[in-house]
Amino acid sequence: MSAVARKVCMIGDFGVGKTSLVARFVHSTFSDKYLTTIGVKVDSKEVALPGRAPCKLVLWDIAGRSHLDALNMTYLRGAAALLLVADGTRERSLNATLDLLMQARTLLPDAVAVLAVNKLDLVEQWEVAPSALAELRRTLPVHETSARSGEGVEAAFSDIAARLAA
Amino acid sequence: MRNADTGGGDRPSAVPAPVPTLDAADSGGYERLRRLLIGKELDALDALDARVDTLGRSQSELPARLPDAILRAQEGAGSERITAALARPVAGALGTAVRENRQVIVDVLFPVIGPAIRKAIAEALRALVADLNRALESSFTPRGIRWRIEAWRSGVPYAEIVLKHTLRYGIDHVFLIERDSGLVLDRESAPHLPVLDADAIAGMLTAIGEFVRDSVGQDESGTLDAARVGEHLLWVVQGPRANLACFIHGVPPARLHALLEQRLEAIHAEYDEISYADEGVGEWRHLLQPDALMRDARAGDEAAAPAASRWPIVLLALAALALIAWAIVRERREASALAELRAELSSRPGFVLTGIDARRDGWIVHGLADPDAEPIAPLLSRAPHRATLDASGYLSTDDAIIARRARRLLDAPSTVTTSVRDGILALGGHASREWIAAARERAAWVPGVRSADFAVAAERDRAASEALSAIARAMPERVVTFARDTEPAPESAAVVDAIVADARRAEALGKTAGVGIAWIASGTNDDPGSEAVNAHLRTERAQWLVDALRARGVANVAVASDDPSLAEAHRRGAFIRLAVPPR
Repeated sequence: MSAVARKVCMIGDFGVGKTSLVARFVHSTFSDKYLTTIGVKVDSKEVALPGRAPCKLVLWDIAGRSHLDALNMTYLRGAAALLLVADGTRERSLNATLDLLMQARTLLPDAVAVLAVNKLDLVEQWEVAPSALAELRRTLPVHETSARSGEGVEAAFSDIAARLAA
Repeated sequence: MRNADTGGGDRPSAVPAPVPTLDAADSGGYERLRRLLIGKELDALDALDARVDTLGRSQSELPARLPDAILRAQEGAGSERITAALARPVAGALGTAVRENRQVIVDVLFPVIGPAIRKAIAEALRALVADLNRALESSFTPRGIRWRIEAWRSGVPYAEIVLKHTLRYGIDHVFLIERDSGLVLDRESAPHLPVLDADAIAGMLTAIGEFVRDSVGQDESGTLDAARVGEHLLWVVQGPRANLACFIHGVPPARLHALLEQRLEAIHAEYDEISYADEGVGEWRHLLQPDALMRDARAGDEAAAPAASRWPIVLLALAALALIAWAIVRERREASALAELRAELSSRPGFVLTGIDARRDGWIVHGLADPDAEPIAPLLSRAPHRATLDASGYLSTDDAIIARRARRLLDAPSTVTTSVRDGILALGGHASREWIAAARERAAWVPGVRSADFAVAAERDRAASEALSAIARAMPERVVTFARDTEPAPESAAVVDAIVADARRAEALGKTAGVGIAWIASGTNDDPGSEAVNAHLRTERAQWLVDALRARGVANVAVASDDPSLAEAHRRGAFIRLAVPPR
């Protein structure tokens, strides 16, 4: 059963751990230096789905910034899903990520969006309150992840694949 | 503590007496007291002083000790640490040096960069030379000849044709990429290539294209169409909904790019809306196969070659016809010339033609030739081809040749005519008696001569004849005179003697010249007397001379019949003259 490829763009503020999440999830083909040169790095990973054809996620790791410029918007074109990444230890990063989502929605109103609150291994230092996350879960699928330990990473990407295949 | 010293002799005398304390003279006791009170602090202070001194000395000695320290650090397991530790500062220092002392860096790197560039150029040239060598080696092969014909027909220089065929290339991958998402709609790769993450590559390629367009392109039309790294080339053919990316190594023909554009146009035309969700994904694989693309590009090159002009073929045909016509005419002329030569040689006396080899490099005439026949060479020199004679000797029985042979063998003078008929040699004209005598003996030995018919007149000896003529002319001048009637004058005896001498010499000359000598004597008279008397006297006087000569041994003298004209001599005399004057 051949896999169906889908484009997934990862957006989030600088330093929230997007690249680390990808590195935890896939074996990268390209160097991270592309993030600092052209502002994006692309990898892919095939995700098995029970009872369905596997889904191949083509992950566009867009360099972290608080807003999307014209070039970043072109990177978003054709994306089927958005993986929003925030740093649980920095509440501002969550706000910035939600702002990025609002921007991306102008181009991708129907794209699947999943939020990954990263750095779960530093949960004791989190500024994001559980109540805020509970509130967010009412509008967005939220996953608490740790790129360092790997906790929640597979689940987040699998959730995206499942939602895309649905 | 130290200002509690009590031993100073320069203290002013006005100073009041010190407070009673330890005995001033007991300095050792004071020192012990001080040691008891602050001994630990003093030791710590001394240790600090010593450490400061050591640190100061180490600092000053650091530049001298650093090289040795680095060398020691590179030994054993410490080498990786020192390398890691120095990597960043060295890189930083190098970067600073490049920015601030660029010329120094350039000068230092020049000996390294120069050979590297030369090596790269040499490698490229070697590859090109290898290609050209292959092309030159194939110059005289069927393929090389075919390329030359192609160059001739298309008007393209031969070198370009060679380069077109010899510069090899290959297609590694062909991706059909959705323009917006960068997802791979379909792909084909050459066999035996390692597996690659096509989706990631296509995504990065799309991202780089967007980046280039955003960075460089001034409008929407600015796109990344090609990129080259070393011998690898990437062509991106842009379409409204999908792009075609072709990864190539080597030097592809321009025709391939046009073919890729055609394929992408065909894909767009076939599917109104290309997207990854379409069921038609995979349907275009046959359009993307590298081998098929290269084959079609090659076929397209050949088909796109300019239509060959018919003029060269027409001219070629005309030239061929002219060549054939010329060959036919030449063949006929040669046949005619050969027949003519054959006829001439067949009819030529003294030559028996046995055959003519008409070869491409010339004719060879075979036959039998009599040495006395006419030379064949002048006849052969008129032939249209180089003709050589291959002849053997023989003796001809042809009458004309026998006549020539007889003339040669008999050494016939030009005054002798020769002819042969039915083996009978006929000789005419005149010749010396000696030749005639010799010819009579040798004529029978001439090959082909059955008999000889001599009609050759013997010639006189020319000198003898001339001398004889001189004597004949002078003889009548010797006149014997008479005193009266037949009585000789006193001087007549001497004249008779002279006549006898001349007569004898003439006799000898006559023998030499082959002429018979005969004299006749005549008499003359003076004026008086009758004619009858004078005629009688003339006869008498002639008889007298005859008798006188016979008496002296000259017998061949006769009296001539009377000649009345001799009466005109007007003197009494007698003389002799030759009966037949020499020719």
